Amino acid sequence: MGDILSLVAKRLGYGVITLLVISILIFFAVEALPGDIAEAVLGQSATPETVAAMREQLGLDRPAVIRYMEWLAGAVQLDFGVSLITGDPVSSAISQRFANTLFLAAYAAVIAVPISIILGVIVALLRNSIFDRVANVLTLTSISSPEFFLGYILILYLAVKTSMFPAIASLRGDMSFVDLLYRTFLPALTLVLVVTAHMMRMTRAAIINLLASPYIEMARLKGAPPWKVIVRHALPNAWAPIINVVALNLAYLITGVVLVEVVFVYPGIGQLLVDAVSKRDFPVVQACCLIFAATFILLNLAADVGAILTNPRLRHPK
Amino acid sequence: MSLFVIGYYALLIGASCLAAYFAKRSAFLLLFSLTLASFIMGIVGGVPALRAVTIAAATLALAAGTSYAFREFLVQILPEGISKEIKTAPLTAAFGMFVIFTYAIAGIFAPVIAPHGEAEVISSAFAPADENMLLGADQLGRDMFSRIVYGARNSVGLALVATSLAFIMGALGGLFAATKGGWLDQILGRAADVIMSVPSLIFALLMLSILGTSLWVIVVVVAVIYSPRVFRLTRAVAGNVVVMDYIEAARLRGEGTWYLIRKEILPNSTAPLIAEFGLEFCFVFLLIAGLSFLGLGIQPPTADWGSMVRENATLISFGDITPLIPAAAIALLTVAVNFVVDWMLYRSSGLKE
Repeated sequence: MGDILSLVAKRLGYGVITLLVISILIFFAVEALPGDIAEAVLGQSATPETVAAMREQLGLDRPAVIRYMEWLAGAVQLDFGVSLITGDPVSSAISQRFANTLFLAAYAAVIAVPISIILGVIVALLRNSIFDRVANVLTLTSISSPEFFLGYILILYLAVKTSMFPAIASLRGDMSFVDLLYRTFLPALTLVLVVTAHMMRMTRAAIINLLASPYIEMARLKGAPPWKVIVRHALPNAWAPIINVVALNLAYLITGVVLVEVVFVYPGIGQLLVDAVSKRDFPVVQACCLIFAATFILLNLAADVGAILTNPRLRHPK
Repeated sequence: MSLFVIGYYALLIGASCLAAYFAKRSAFLLLFSLTLASFIMGIVGGVPALRAVTIAAATLALAAGTSYAFREFLVQILPEGISKEIKTAPLTAAFGMFVIFTYAIAGIFAPVIAPHGEAEVISSAFAPADENMLLGADQLGRDMFSRIVYGARNSVGLALVATSLAFIMGALGGLFAATKGGWLDQILGRAADVIMSVPSLIFALLMLSILGTSLWVIVVVVAVIYSPRVFRLTRAVAGNVVVMDYIEAARLRGEGTWYLIRKEILPNSTAPLIAEFGLEFCFVFLLIAGLSFLGLGIQPPTADWGSMVRENATLISFGDITPLIPAAAIALLTVAVNFVVDWMLYRSSGLKE
């Protein structure tokens, strides 16, 4: 067991170092602005006095390294500074929206993961049949479409023409859970369509890879019934790739959510990021980027750890 | 039961019987499952649903016919060696090639094809389609069709430039890392790891918020984001070639690194790299489309598919499909490239599943 723990700890350490490098990148990218933040934000209305006042307010007169340390220390305690536009603390603007985004991603994942794994396995078992070909073309089409295309098609046919679902996912605090699920159905469905296609293809590839291995053929030759070949022989080895596929796609979900949130005007962190980018509200941009990157790295880490736990060959490296 | 519905089912059942009689197993399965699905759809959606199925099937048949004819056309006009390869291409790949060909024509000859200029205001905002404007006008009264044609030049051109730059950076880095090894390999590898561990759209948003949205900034930022993928692939492919005896022989002859890369390694790793170029193009194209949809891509008044969707999105709430056309143009090109890449990967890997 100690072996596994040290392996997992090593991965975690890697993740933390990567995150640290990314935080440096995010912080110093803003430092590299032509001029500085104060000039960039004030733009047209920059007089020497206002620039100087803003510099003082932001503490820009101190060295960048010290400000980075302070920013990082704050970020660890979920304090990302103050928005340049509204003057409110960034963390209060983000926390509710981040919860909304996680809710949407979780909603999509709960629908997409079981469907895509089951479909992926079925398609792998029926490989090279006409259904496999059709599924191949359909998933490829779904992957190739930009998220906003799928989103607007759903809005057009399910919200405008038939008015089955609301086109705009506005949230209020007093909504019941069922109402919440109903109102966020279209954005969740858009994400499901994209992610299911990805996951199905990856599951199919993983299972086909597995079924081609000699020990499966051996199991068939010794006369094991087909369901037993799948459940007893193939499945234990299939968990690793499947866990990997799921974690990678959840990471993808977190990024794909940005465009979907904009299409459906969903009050999530992606929408906040896009707004902040167009208003050049750098503390918010930095905080959102850091959160997205951290989630992405965490899920990729989960994929690695899951692969280690389910694969004895990785647990005992030579 | 209208005549249409009776004819619909009669045609489907008759066709499945014929397929079964001539022992075309896959055609029979497809037709018969379509019949069964139609029963359900007919009950739930009524005649309109069946009409939609008919239209979809007809479109599919038209696409299949076009791709078949285009494949034969390519086989006829291309020289012996290539035409033999193309003969074995599946219809999906032929369809992909046809679409790419059409887009290339539209992009290159945009000023000739488009009836109006891309920034030319010719009528009132959101004017409906008439004989002068094929698809109506956009939010400023510019001709939608002309803008879509010009978009083929601007959007695809920008994506091509960015992909080429990403490819050159990634491939050169990968080749040098594989041949030189040592600290260069380590540094490039870690840099690639860091870039790949940030979600691409987020990274692009961060960089564009800082550097602004001029064309060159977009190209360079997107190229930097996607070069690690090429870098890893090139390094892996070249790594397999570098250990060959003929490389050793060339080294002993005293050839330099640049000669090794150009004359020995590159010719032996082109097949996977070409397929990767196609895939890379899809990623870059979708990222740029997403960015311009968010208002951070090519700036107006230049016609660009992603921003056209965003600008005309209000029309969707009136049940108009016009804003979906540029989005569909993006999707169609990406699908087409993916089809061709799929076939090339299948050929180069020799996968026979």
